[in-house]
Amino acid sequence: MTNPILEVRNLSTHFFTDDGEVKAVRGVSFDVAPGETLGIVGESGCGKSVTAMSVLGLVQRPGKVVGGEIMFKGRDLLKVTREELRNIRGRDIAMIFQDPLSSLNPVLRVGYQIDEAMYAHDKIASGDVERRGIDLLKQVRVSDAERRINDFPHQFSGGMRQRAMIAMGLSNKPDLLIADEPTTALDVTVQAQILELLRDLNEQTGAAIILITHNLGVVAGLCKRVLVMYAGEIVEEGTVEQIFESPQHPYTWSLLRSVPRIDANRGHRLLSIEGLPPDLIDLPQGCKFNPRCPFRVERCFKESPPIEQVAPAQHAACWVTMARAYAEMGAGTITDTSPGAASGIHPAGRSRPPTEVAAAIAEPIGD
Amino acid sequence: MASVATPILEEYAGGTIARAQVGLWRDGFRRLRRNRLALAALVYLTALLLIAVVAVFWTPYNPATILPNTLTYLGPSAAHPLGTDDLGRDLLSRMMQGAQISLIVGVGTSAIVLTVGVVVGLIAGYFRGWIDNVISVFINIFYGIPGILVAIILYLVLGRGLGNIMIAISATAWMDMARLVRGQAFSIREREYIEAARASGARSGKILFGHILPNSLGPIIVQATFVIPIAILTEAFLSYLGLGIPSPLASWGSIASEGYAALPLEPYMMLWPAVALSVTLLAFNFLGDGLRDAFDPRQRR
Amino acid sequence: MLTRGTLIYIAQRLLLIVFTLIAVSFLVFITVHSLPGSAFESERVHGKALQLVLHQYGLDRPILVQYWSFLTNAIQGNLGVSFQIRGLPITPLVMRELSVSAELGGTALLITIGLGTTFGVLAAMRQNSWVDYTLTSIAVVGYSVPSFVLAGLGVLIFSYWLPTVTNGAISYPAIWTGTYGTLVELSLPAIILGFYTSGQVTRITRAAMLEVLQQDYIRTARAKGLKSRVVTVRHALRNALIPVISILGPLVISIITGSVIIENIFGIPGLGKEFVESILGADYNVTVAVFTVYALLIGIANLVVDLLYTVVDPRIRY
Repeated sequence: MTNPILEVRNLSTHFFTDDGEVKAVRGVSFDVAPGETLGIVGESGCGKSVTAMSVLGLVQRPGKVVGGEIMFKGRDLLKVTREELRNIRGRDIAMIFQDPLSSLNPVLRVGYQIDEAMYAHDKIASGDVERRGIDLLKQVRVSDAERRINDFPHQFSGGMRQRAMIAMGLSNKPDLLIADEPTTALDVTVQAQILELLRDLNEQTGAAIILITHNLGVVAGLCKRVLVMYAGEIVEEGTVEQIFESPQHPYTWSLLRSVPRIDANRGHRLLSIEGLPPDLIDLPQGCKFNPRCPFRVERCFKESPPIEQVAPAQHAACWVTMARAYAEMGAGTITDTSPGAASGIHPAGRSRPPTEVAAAIAEPIGD
Repeated sequence: MASVATPILEEYAGGTIARAQVGLWRDGFRRLRRNRLALAALVYLTALLLIAVVAVFWTPYNPATILPNTLTYLGPSAAHPLGTDDLGRDLLSRMMQGAQISLIVGVGTSAIVLTVGVVVGLIAGYFRGWIDNVISVFINIFYGIPGILVAIILYLVLGRGLGNIMIAISATAWMDMARLVRGQAFSIREREYIEAARASGARSGKILFGHILPNSLGPIIVQATFVIPIAILTEAFLSYLGLGIPSPLASWGSIASEGYAALPLEPYMMLWPAVALSVTLLAFNFLGDGLRDAFDPRQRR
Repeated sequence: MLTRGTLIYIAQRLLLIVFTLIAVSFLVFITVHSLPGSAFESERVHGKALQLVLHQYGLDRPILVQYWSFLTNAIQGNLGVSFQIRGLPITPLVMRELSVSAELGGTALLITIGLGTTFGVLAAMRQNSWVDYTLTSIAVVGYSVPSFVLAGLGVLIFSYWLPTVTNGAISYPAIWTGTYGTLVELSLPAIILGFYTSGQVTRITRAAMLEVLQQDYIRTARAKGLKSRVVTVRHALRNALIPVISILGPLVISIITGSVIIENIFGIPGLGKEFVESILGADYNVTVAVFTVYALLIGIANLVVDLLYTVVDPRIRY
């Protein structure tokens, strides 16, 4: 691997709310190589977006990066001045967001918003900005770009807005583009177009892309390497083939079993993950996935598993790993995915059966 | 407050919506208790209410009596803690009566506005059609007209008196309430639980007062609270202009007006009603803000 | 950008204003004419002489006929004659008073918007700091302290305590001396009037700013690497101004309400003073005229606000 352009080490970001300290991201480490396409997947609230926002220093109060380092081109982004960080944002590292309607300023023209990103950094000669703005819109395949550049965002369709966002992100020829759920708010056909566009742009411009999504299909379509996050931690890391073909963390395995696949074998049943992600204020002891894991063992309740190599270029944080689960617990044939179902571990008092939880919620509280 | 949640609880087996409803009120009261400004306002207003009640039975002197052998424009003294006015009347007694009048006008107007506004708003919002059109056109015509102008004219037409001043102020103030309730009724009417209630054969009256009203109670209470300072201020304005409570009844507005004329001679006379009015209006506004933050989730952030 | 649609919209709104003016003036006309007493009572005109005067002013006709003649005259710009100052044409009187009120109200409006938006933005930028608490407290104090209290305080300071300082340049007699209306003299009433309504602007600006600062496009602007000043002014403030514009209509109403009080306190010969004097003097034609002019002002203000929307928010087109 060539020298990574981004090295994140032990990143922790917490939110200090009235109800307590929400430990949204804890000890996350990963690298991004130049020109690489990295996917970060996980359920909503798993900390994937907060990780991305932390990289750009966009975490707002009450959130705060409480530890770690983010090395970008030899500089720790957590230690640079605000002005230096501002200069990196949008210039070297660009970001695009989930909802393209709300992410564009409704009262400013699209072209103005694209040009503004270039004027802010002096990387593009100011005489070329307007020309390049139109070229960028063409590059992201907005038809009639010369005219549409003077439109307001509400005159654009959802897909076009996301294209405009991408044009804005690419305007300063960044080394890294972070795309946070770029297709979630779009129609399925438009999703495919945007992904194709990102893939082409990655090849043409050589910008590395971090794609953040909850949608495994999107990752498969674009990324070479995948990080799986759960409850603020990275639980598995590997190439896209490894993650899809032989996931080692039970969470990754469960995620894959919960999405319908066209290439699935007969008898591959769609299974859901029971329970809810843990409360990030009051985390469970040991492995954070233990309250929902069908393959948990006693050790999972006591010690947090470190992330360890499970295959070449593949790492997972699990005491059991799916290799053992297949061999010893019959993971290939189980139909019951309730917590502890495969391993038979139901420690008393550690977790209540779902019916009891539902009853507790339904219980009316007198005033 | 549990009664608010019960009908919904029956319709939603899951129960989470009911919890949200009950939680809203409980959360609201908790938030209100945490709001120190609103609490301070509540303490002050309770004290003011006590003074006003006491003034019904006892004041140091008769507030209307021109005291014999008493100097006019007297500064504070043991006999007259707040001094005397331009005619030699005891200012403390007059201020106590003023508190009474302010609170009666404020709360009374709010009650009228609440009744008229809620009834008209519910009718317009629930039945819609031509009733709503007539009400809306009427409100829209008068919506832009400064309430004080209408109040002045109407008050003089009705004749001077405490009841009429409340009616005159209510004449335009109910429209805001009606608009609010109408809007609430419009949106709540569309929700599933109203559909469910209607489908199960509930009558209009039950839907209006059993579902729509309880569910818009938060914003209504907040709005009603904000009517009080507006009414007090309007009364004070009218009395200040000599168009208010008939003399010799004392209103903070009329005392201030007399005090303004006496400003070079005796600043105290303007000071007392100025402070009393300002603090009282401030208290009602803080209370209203606190209630809104606590009970009107649309405004919360 | 006056498109065809916008012009049609303006025409519709103007029609609505005319309709409102007719409805309002009719109701006011009927109401004030039912007031007890008449303008000529104080002149001790009785019997035949009174009949003659009433006839002279057309007051012996049925009320609807009287209104009809008021209306037809008003459309031609003639608002009738005063009873108090017998035969004085009202239109020039009201126009002169309107110019005084407009000067006062316009200055107050500028102060309100300037002060309110500045305070609101500052409070929002420093949310939950002492700056925020101070400014929001000032805002609540602003609309809680009655204007006559501030007026009294101002007069006390400027006219009685500091006359030597100002060399008598600023003094506020209770009666108009005929030299009223200099900018210096207008400043105190205008500041008091503007301060009262600025509280509402502060609140709404602060709330709008806080809301806007949460928006995704602000995050986008920051992610682009824009300077925070640019983010605040170009991206946040422009959007926050939209709700502020929505209260401009109510603001004009507040200022008119306040000016009725302020003009009477300071003896400023504007519409507000005239309104109170006319109704006390049973000079009904003047009352109706002033009321109608107010309604017209508010109607136009609301129309202007609606058109301002289209300037600030490109999403709104009529």
